Amino acid sequence: MATTVAASTAPPGRTWRRIGAAVLYVAFAVATIVFVSPLFLMLSDAFKTTAEIVQSPPSLLPATPSLANFQTVLAETPYFVWYRNSLVVALAVTILAMFTSALGGYIFAKFDFPGKTPLFLLVLATMMIPFPVLLIPTYLIANKLGILNTLWALILPGVVSAFGIFLLRQFIGGIPNDLIEAARLDGASEFAIFARIVVPLVRPALAALGVFTFLASWNDYLWPLVAINDMDKSTLPLALAFFNTARSQRYDLIMAAAAMAVVPVLIVFLIFQRQIVKALVLAGMK
Amino acid sequence: MRHGEGHNHGRHHPPGYASQLTFVTAGLVPIMAFFAVFAFAPIVYVVYLSLHRYNQLAPTAPFIGLGNYQFAFVKDPYFRNALANTLKYAFVAVPLNLVIALPVALGLNQVKRFRAVFRSAFFLPAIASAVAVSLIWRTIYDPQAGWLNGLFSAIGLPQHAWLNDPKTVLWAVMVAAVWQDLGYNILILLAGLQTIPEDFYDASKVDGAGPWDRFVGITMPLLSRTLVFVTVLTLVSYLQQFTHVAVMPTQPGGPIHSAETMVLYIYDKGFSSLQMGYASALSIVLMAIIMLVTLAQLRLLRARWEY
Repeated sequence: MATTVAASTAPPGRTWRRIGAAVLYVAFAVATIVFVSPLFLMLSDAFKTTAEIVQSPPSLLPATPSLANFQTVLAETPYFVWYRNSLVVALAVTILAMFTSALGGYIFAKFDFPGKTPLFLLVLATMMIPFPVLLIPTYLIANKLGILNTLWALILPGVVSAFGIFLLRQFIGGIPNDLIEAARLDGASEFAIFARIVVPLVRPALAALGVFTFLASWNDYLWPLVAINDMDKSTLPLALAFFNTARSQRYDLIMAAAAMAVVPVLIVFLIFQRQIVKALVLAGMK
Repeated sequence: MRHGEGHNHGRHHPPGYASQLTFVTAGLVPIMAFFAVFAFAPIVYVVYLSLHRYNQLAPTAPFIGLGNYQFAFVKDPYFRNALANTLKYAFVAVPLNLVIALPVALGLNQVKRFRAVFRSAFFLPAIASAVAVSLIWRTIYDPQAGWLNGLFSAIGLPQHAWLNDPKTVLWAVMVAAVWQDLGYNILILLAGLQTIPEDFYDASKVDGAGPWDRFVGITMPLLSRTLVFVTVLTLVSYLQQFTHVAVMPTQPGGPIHSAETMVLYIYDKGFSSLQMGYASALSIVLMAIIMLVTLAQLRLLRARWEY
C-alpha cells in the first residue's frame, strides 16, 4: 500500500527508474537462465536413456530419469583413479606453488643480496612466455628426467610460479620492515618470521594464488595430453577427451562422465563463491 | 643484508647476517633450480631446436639456421592456414567477448539485489574444464539430436552440421569458448566499475548530464585501464586456443584443417609428425606474435595514462 502511494505521487523520473530497474531484473533473469542452460542440458542428458538421447528434437527433461549412465561409466572406466590423479596433482601443485611463491616473494621483497634485481627480472620475464611455446622443450626435458607418464611430470613443472612470486612480492612489500625487525630482535628464527608473521599477513593473496593455481591445474589438458600415456595415470580432462573419442556416439555416457567431473567443482565454487570471486579479482587486478 | 636500515649498523654486517644469508640461500636456490629446469632451460632449448632439423627418432639433428622459419613462411600452406585461423579466431573472439561482457558488467553494476547470484551464474562455465565444456557443446551442435538444430527447426530455420562444415566450425567453437570464459571478464570489469566513486555520477547528474553522457564522460575514461588490461589478457589467451578446437570437432582442428590453430598445429607437428625442430620454430613465431600484441597494447596503455 505504502509503496503504491509513493510511486503514484513520486516525480515521473522516479517511476521510470523503477520500470527501468524491473526491466533490468527481468533481462538478467532471462539472460542467466539462457546462459546456464548448457550446463542444465548436460545434467539432463546424463540422466536420459540411450533411446531418448538420440531422439530428434531432443527432450528438455529425461522422460524416465535413470542412473544407468553413471553406473556404466563407473563400471567401464577407472573413473575414481582419474579423480584421485586430478586431485593429487592439483593439490600438490597448489600447495607447493603457494609455498614457493610466498618464500620467493618474501625473499625478493625484504632481503638484499648480490644479483637480486637481475634474478627477479629473469623470473618476471618467464611470465611473458606462454606455456604452449615451451611445450616441445618441456616434453624433451621431462623425457630426460625420466618423469614422462608419471604424475611427477604434471607436478614438478608447477612447483614454482613466476606470477605467484610476483603477486606475493607485491603484497609482502607492504608489510612494515619494523615488524620483521622486532621479531628478529626477539630472537625469532628467519623461518619462524616467514611462517608466523609474513605468511599470515598475506593470506588473502595466497588464497587468490591458490584458487588460480588449483583451477588451472585441475582443468589443464595440453600438458597432460603430451606427458601422460597410460589411462591409469590420466587426469580428468585428459580421460574425458579420451572417453569422448572411444564412445563418441554415446552422448548419454559422455555427459554423465562430464557431469561427474564438473558438478562437484561447481558445488565447491557455489559454497565458497564470495571468497573465490574476491580472490580471483584480487589476483586479476594486481 | 636487510635493506633500508644502514643507519643502525653502519657498514658492518648487522647481527643475524649469517642466519639471513642461510635463509635466503636455502630458500632461493631450490626455487631458482626449478626455474632453471622448467623455465630458463626450455626457453633456450626451444630457440636451439628451432634452428635444427630435430626429429626425436632421427640419429642426427643438423643445424639448418633459419631453414625451419623459411619453410614455414615460404612453403608451408598449413602454417599459413593455422596462422590465419588463429588471428581470425582471436580478433573476432576478443571483441565478441567484450561486446557481451561490458554490457553485462554495466548492468550488474546497476543491480543491487541478487548481484552475487547473477555474477556467479555467469562465472559457472569458467569453473568447468575446457574439455568438459567442449563435450557439452559437441552434443548441442550434433546435427541430428543436438539442441541447436532442435531449436532451429522449431522456429523454421534450416538445420546445419555446425562442426562438420569447414565454413562454420571455427565460429561454432568460438561461441562455446567465449561462453566459457565470459564470466572472468565480467568479474574483472565489474570490479573496475565498482572502483568508480558514486560522487562522480552524482555531480554530473547535478550538471544535467544524461545516462549516455555519463557513460562516455565518466565510465569509459575511468574504466579504460581495466578494459585495456582485460583486452590484453583475453587476446593473449585466445591466441593460444587449443583445447576447444582439438576436442569439440570429431577430427581435431575440424574438417580439412578449417579450425586448426597455431597451438594445435605445433602439437600436431611436434607429436604426430615428430618434427620437433620445425614445431619449435612455429612456437617461436607464436611467441613473437603474442609479444608484439602485448607490447603494442602496453604502449597504448602508457601513452594514455602516463603523462
